[in-house]
Amino acid sequence: MSEQSLPPIDRRAILKSAGIATVVLPTIGAASRAEAAEPKPQIAQAQPPAAAAPSSAAAPGAATGHQFLSLDEVAFTEALVDHMWPKDQLSPSGTELGIATFIDRQLAGAFGQGDRLYAQGPFRMGKPQHGYQLPLTPAQYYRAGASAIATACQKRFGRSFERLAAADREQFLQELASGKVKEGPLDLAAWFNGLAYPLFVQGAFADPVYGGNRDKAAWKMIGYPGLPAVYNQDVVRFRGKAHPRSANPQSIQDFS
Amino acid sequence: MATTLKEREVVIVGGGLSAGLIARKLVPLGRDVLVLERGAPRSGSESQLPSQRDELRWGIQRGLVQRENVETYTLRHTPEETALPMRRLLSFLPGFGVGGGASHWNGQTWRFQTTDYILRSHLEQRYGKAAIPSDMTVQDWGIRYEDLEPYYTLFEKLFGISGKAGNIKGVKQEGGNPFEPWRAEEFSLPPLEPSEAGLIFKAAAEKLGYKPFPMPAANASRAYTNPDGMKLGACQYCGHCERFVCEANAKASPDRLLFPFIADKPNFELRTHAEAFLINYDKADRRVTGVTYIDTETGEEFAQPASTIVLGSYVLSNTRLLLLSGIGEPYEPGTGKGVVGKNYCYQTISGVSVFFEDRYINPFMGAGAYGMVIDEFNNDHFDHSGLGFFGGAFINATITNGRPITTRALPPGTPRWGSAWKAANAKWYLRSFNISCHGTSYSHRGNCMDLDPDYRDAYGRPLLRIAFDFPENDLKMSLFVTQKAHDIAKATGATIVGTPAPRRGPFDSRIYQSTHNTGGTIMGADHATSVVSPHLQSWDAQNLFITGASVFPQNSGYNPTGTVGALGLRLADDLISYLERPRFL
Repeated sequence: MSEQSLPPIDRRAILKSAGIATVVLPTIGAASRAEAAEPKPQIAQAQPPAAAAPSSAAAPGAATGHQFLSLDEVAFTEALVDHMWPKDQLSPSGTELGIATFIDRQLAGAFGQGDRLYAQGPFRMGKPQHGYQLPLTPAQYYRAGASAIATACQKRFGRSFERLAAADREQFLQELASGKVKEGPLDLAAWFNGLAYPLFVQGAFADPVYGGNRDKAAWKMIGYPGLPAVYNQDVVRFRGKAHPRSANPQSIQDFS
Repeated sequence: MATTLKEREVVIVGGGLSAGLIARKLVPLGRDVLVLERGAPRSGSESQLPSQRDELRWGIQRGLVQRENVETYTLRHTPEETALPMRRLLSFLPGFGVGGGASHWNGQTWRFQTTDYILRSHLEQRYGKAAIPSDMTVQDWGIRYEDLEPYYTLFEKLFGISGKAGNIKGVKQEGGNPFEPWRAEEFSLPPLEPSEAGLIFKAAAEKLGYKPFPMPAANASRAYTNPDGMKLGACQYCGHCERFVCEANAKASPDRLLFPFIADKPNFELRTHAEAFLINYDKADRRVTGVTYIDTETGEEFAQPASTIVLGSYVLSNTRLLLLSGIGEPYEPGTGKGVVGKNYCYQTISGVSVFFEDRYINPFMGAGAYGMVIDEFNNDHFDHSGLGFFGGAFINATITNGRPITTRALPPGTPRWGSAWKAANAKWYLRSFNISCHGTSYSHRGNCMDLDPDYRDAYGRPLLRIAFDFPENDLKMSLFVTQKAHDIAKATGATIVGTPAPRRGPFDSRIYQSTHNTGGTIMGADHATSVVSPHLQSWDAQNLFITGASVFPQNSGYNPTGTVGALGLRLADDLISYLERPRFL
């Protein structure tokens, strides 16, 4: 692939869709001493916090106790995780499990604000194998993707994702994950597979201390015993046998 | 302006395995040693219950490894492409902080095969010069296995390796690896207890006529005291090794066994938050004079004069520091000229999953090197005539972990969400494991490193640019060994055998594969084709030594840490001799 064949990313279009009006190019400035110890992604510093710049008319969901997601984003996220983690005989629903809460907290916290993410330009479109290449923090990216999906659902079904029937949701998600949903400049399959899906899985299976996996329901479902995980004797005693703690897992809070 | 500090006798860049092994030897002999480590001392929460068992914090969000917003690498698949930064480091995990990568490793501890050190000579002799592809730039190391054997033995004693010998001084040992290069002694500790998966794998491999054996492990099978009097506890099989610091003090690590041994000596200093910027180089005199570094907590710059310098940081940092410092001729893939950045290699990993309706695998009872292995298809253990590739892989069933975000194998055809997906997780999480292939990575003319022209780190220095893709040779190898793993999978009697997944290109930076990056400052007997001598002495500066996996001319089918340890211990002995009488060794 030559330099010429790498299409530049349309930063303005993406930032617009993320609800950010102005772009301050990331620069290496004279960092303060504190910043020198642990430099933060410049783009996150150069702009108002994403939480303070909601993408649409909807205000951040203060009434629901959410930290980052706006009310319409909460509705979308809850519908998404309830569809992907439905209530059935194995466990409560994704929202009841706390997956939407987990996603909200992650986006509001260090991860969502771009902690660790290398955020210097120039920004270019790469191959999928190069990984994430956009100038957005994960929180901005989540917002931009949710907004594009809302538009795509409106255009196609005349209603938002959370108002779709289960069969339509399923079909839409299949198409979203496989790259068939096009709306705006973002690669929505990359958004789903690279951001939303990992957050969904983490919200289900991470320690409950982060807001998901409430009551360790996902661990109970699969038989992961959690803590303290001290198996020096058990590797022989329970080799090839059901471990009694699989049915009754313990988490960080049980030891705190 | 940099503040110039008082000169030190030996300055080691990077506070990881190599530094620990060298300092452990030099400091008790009275040598003045300063280690510069860019990260912090371990704070405690990473190794204490309950926070140590936090998969999201340490495993997924990679709390112990290099922060990519400070420094990452750019990637292109060929030297003709434009490189892009890996904005998240997902495919490998460069260490950061005292102990480096060897504090959050799995502990799979191997010796390289006798043929690895003489790979080009060996392949030419066995298959003829013409059989080696012109773009396969494999080289001899300039040393033999015999040169390293005593150091492997010492390293395995210091780190209390659990295992079963296969070849003691040429005498084959029942139950060990029949392909093992000869060793002076039995392992320090007996092997870990076999897992259910290990027993299943063992039975299947034996059915096919192979000789399975327990993986050599730095996860101590029982409490241990090493020759320095440093202690390890017994492994608890908690399943939190790689990406984690051990909570039971059972995983051999520099921060547990090496630095504490010398920590109170007045002639030893481990300086943290010291990010090396430059090795100061007097080209005319062919000597290095010191290290310029920044205190990452204060932003202050320091010049640290040194009479002898050892580069013992991560593979990629060793290479980058040489390039930034203008030491040695940078490699040019077009012409094949130059040496710094040459022969970047990796590890070629693949595998196949197996699912058992009626057997409990219990993957949460795991350890980093808790494996059963066969070695029949590794390296040059089998005849490659007519196969169209060289190299191979060990094939293993290793239960490193059952951490639930990461490790939930699902049968082919399982949907990615919904009730059927949930049900599949509920059914198979406890009852599946992966049979994997840990394969060679042979050097290729186009796989190399240099400085990126566009992208910079948080301090404004150019990032290291990696050109890498799996060469045709390695892809063919992976296809071959993965088929062998598939045969074993079928012989396990599994309810379901997954779809075999041989390694395919292009190299995907989004998926964790291995932190076995190698090359860039390779060793050899010829100045024209290597960066350091067989004694790891820079050809371009007499008082500069470089060690770590950056000196491997290509990567073996075994994990690199055992060899990094042996090289570090051998260099310690060479340094004793050098410091007594400085010269080209």
